Amino acid sequence: MRLIHLKLAARNVRRQPHRTIALGGAMAFSALVMALILGFVNGMDLAIQNNVTLYSGGHVLVSGYTASRSGRLQNRFTDDTVVKIVESTKTDILTVSPIAQSRATVVFGTREIQLMLRGVDWSRDQLYHESLILTEGDWEGLEDSRTMLMSAQTANRFGLAAGDRVIVRLSTASGQQNVTDYKVAAIYDDGAAGGMNTAFVAFGDLAADLNMKSDEQQQIAVFLKNSAAAEEAAQAITAGLSAQGFTVSRGSASNEGALGAATPQDAATPQDASIIPDAFQGAGGVQGGANRRLALGTAVYRISTVQELAGEIGAALGSIRWIGYAVFALMLLVSATGISNSYHMVLLERTKEIGMLRCIGYKKKDVFSSFIWEGILLAGGAALVGIVLALPIGFGIGLIPFDPHGDFGAALIQGHLRFAPTLGQFLLILVFVTTVAIAAVFVPARRAADVVPVEALRKTA
Amino acid sequence: MANSRSMNMKLLNARLTSKLSIVLFGLVLVFSAKAQSGPMGGIGLPPGFLEQNKDYKFPDDITKYTANDFLMLVRRTDIRSSFYNSDMSATISMVTVSPDRGTKTFKQQIFRRDKDDAFLMITLEPESRKGQGMLRVDNNMWRYDPTSRKFTHTTIKDTYENSTVTNNDFRRWQRSIDYSVEKLSSGTLGNYNVIIGELKANNDEVPFPYIKMYIEADRKIVLKVEEYSLSMKLLRTSYYTQYVQIGDSFVPTVQIFQDGLIPEKRSQTTYTDISTKPLPDYYFTKEYLERVSQ
Repeated sequence: MRLIHLKLAARNVRRQPHRTIALGGAMAFSALVMALILGFVNGMDLAIQNNVTLYSGGHVLVSGYTASRSGRLQNRFTDDTVVKIVESTKTDILTVSPIAQSRATVVFGTREIQLMLRGVDWSRDQLYHESLILTEGDWEGLEDSRTMLMSAQTANRFGLAAGDRVIVRLSTASGQQNVTDYKVAAIYDDGAAGGMNTAFVAFGDLAADLNMKSDEQQQIAVFLKNSAAAEEAAQAITAGLSAQGFTVSRGSASNEGALGAATPQDAATPQDASIIPDAFQGAGGVQGGANRRLALGTAVYRISTVQELAGEIGAALGSIRWIGYAVFALMLLVSATGISNSYHMVLLERTKEIGMLRCIGYKKKDVFSSFIWEGILLAGGAALVGIVLALPIGFGIGLIPFDPHGDFGAALIQGHLRFAPTLGQFLLILVFVTTVAIAAVFVPARRAADVVPVEALRKTA
Repeated sequence: MANSRSMNMKLLNARLTSKLSIVLFGLVLVFSAKAQSGPMGGIGLPPGFLEQNKDYKFPDDITKYTANDFLMLVRRTDIRSSFYNSDMSATISMVTVSPDRGTKTFKQQIFRRDKDDAFLMITLEPESRKGQGMLRVDNNMWRYDPTSRKFTHTTIKDTYENSTVTNNDFRRWQRSIDYSVEKLSSGTLGNYNVIIGELKANNDEVPFPYIKMYIEADRKIVLKVEEYSLSMKLLRTSYYTQYVQIGDSFVPTVQIFQDGLIPEKRSQTTYTDISTKPLPDYYFTKEYLERVSQ
């Protein structure tokens, strides 16, 4: 490349401002749209992971199921070895906490609501202390026995405030009915928590309500320094448990018919499995057949990551991303057609100029290069403009509040869409737009290079 | 002589061996049958469940009842209110009242084979629920949705249509198997003399860990059952206000279930068109439920 080509190209781009703006504007718009789509999809991905982490209580969940006397699997286990293996598996684990949870009916007066009740070891918790914003009460109040942290939506529905007492009806780990009461010690902003309406109580209190022994738990929640390492951590934990002889399966409960779950919130709900999920066939001597039961005390474990629990919601984002790519490609195709047509016109307009340049020593490749560089400068500049414009627009849309309890609540962070593009994605847009422009200008550039100088000058004489 | 003696010995050995084989074979059959009968709370009934109760002599004075007497009384109500010797089909009309959801009505067709602890129930009304079904067979329960054409697993402990009725209420009665007697007393319920028994669940298959039964002494029928949580809070009260005699059975045709936490919340089920005609075996299959729901 010679500097003269670049200078010539730059001059030509500036020479026809209206054409440049028209062509460049179309390409800039394509780049703008693509940058916005990619930025918001990234943001929603991040939000879903954060919210699912809140829903599930950790980045990796180890759920344990033990066969009862009747052979049914109950979501509970007592083996301390499992906890020790999990803790020793990875070095970037922040916390390993026991979790118990149950679908419960909260009753206040004549009103009732069904929600998830989760038992958390407050002394070891880091996730909720950092993530939840309390609108009433404080964390110290939750250290008392039989206290509850309730979502603002539930509290508003009942007209509850901190200090009120509610009755809770739930099923124990073996499926029997139990009724207890709790005092609402604090209320959290569910809008800032992805619309989650889970109520939190002390792990010991819920374990007692579920008729679990003091050393029993339903799940172990692993909270990592980096959520992106969840899959690696899950594999390491699976390998560690399998090496010690434990029966382990991978995946969220939504992958299992018998422990069926449709949402991330359901994915970790304890279920009284009356038949053995396919993943556990072969455990405890069972040789397949949906109606076989396990021997008393046989324990099986399932490991899920936050990405697996995000499951169907995350898959929908992949579809949005691909739709965005398709729209981008279509827009570029239209722009490329316009550029190609325009440069055919440019060729006709500059035939004499090209002839003059050839006469003074320009070679074919110099003419070709100057056209190509013109296309690169036009497209590259337009893409940059589009990307730069996307930033304030994207961040501006991020300021608009949305309903966190709506269908897309899980994809919001504190009720807002987050715009989170990456430099790599911007570079990709730039390269793609420029490549398309080069392809569009290629044919006119070749034709310009093939112009015979004498013929060019004679025609225009 | 020696030959005939040895022949006799051989004959005797052969006879002893054949008799021993028959005895061993019989033992194998008995143990196999017991092994297949399943757990106590499952399909099988304990040996002598029906026979032992037939001629049981109850004390005339209700204050003299022992725990075993009461358990046999409960068994008597189980046997008389269920159909252990035949199949049963009926139409159920259900009305649920809730402060949040208002009043709803349902109509279902139920088919039961109590000796196998199996039943099939198909919703007829309302139109939005028509075709939905529930099947219990081989100690498993399934819900069927004709819209999605999917079976989902459920249990007898789950509530039915978010009402005060549980799936267990559509099943045969077997409280004498699932509970043991903790305490006895006597009293009156309205105009009736009743024996009051406090029972505790002896397995985790039943929804309520503790119940209190009020059984009328004269007719030996259950009038009321209070159902308690693990923490001994009243969860539900069931009233059996009307019985119909069908053969040797006394079937509770009107049952009222009142929520213990929200008294305004209650449900009533009414059984009509009760028939004991034999039912084909294929009625209690998923394939039949799927076919008839369409």
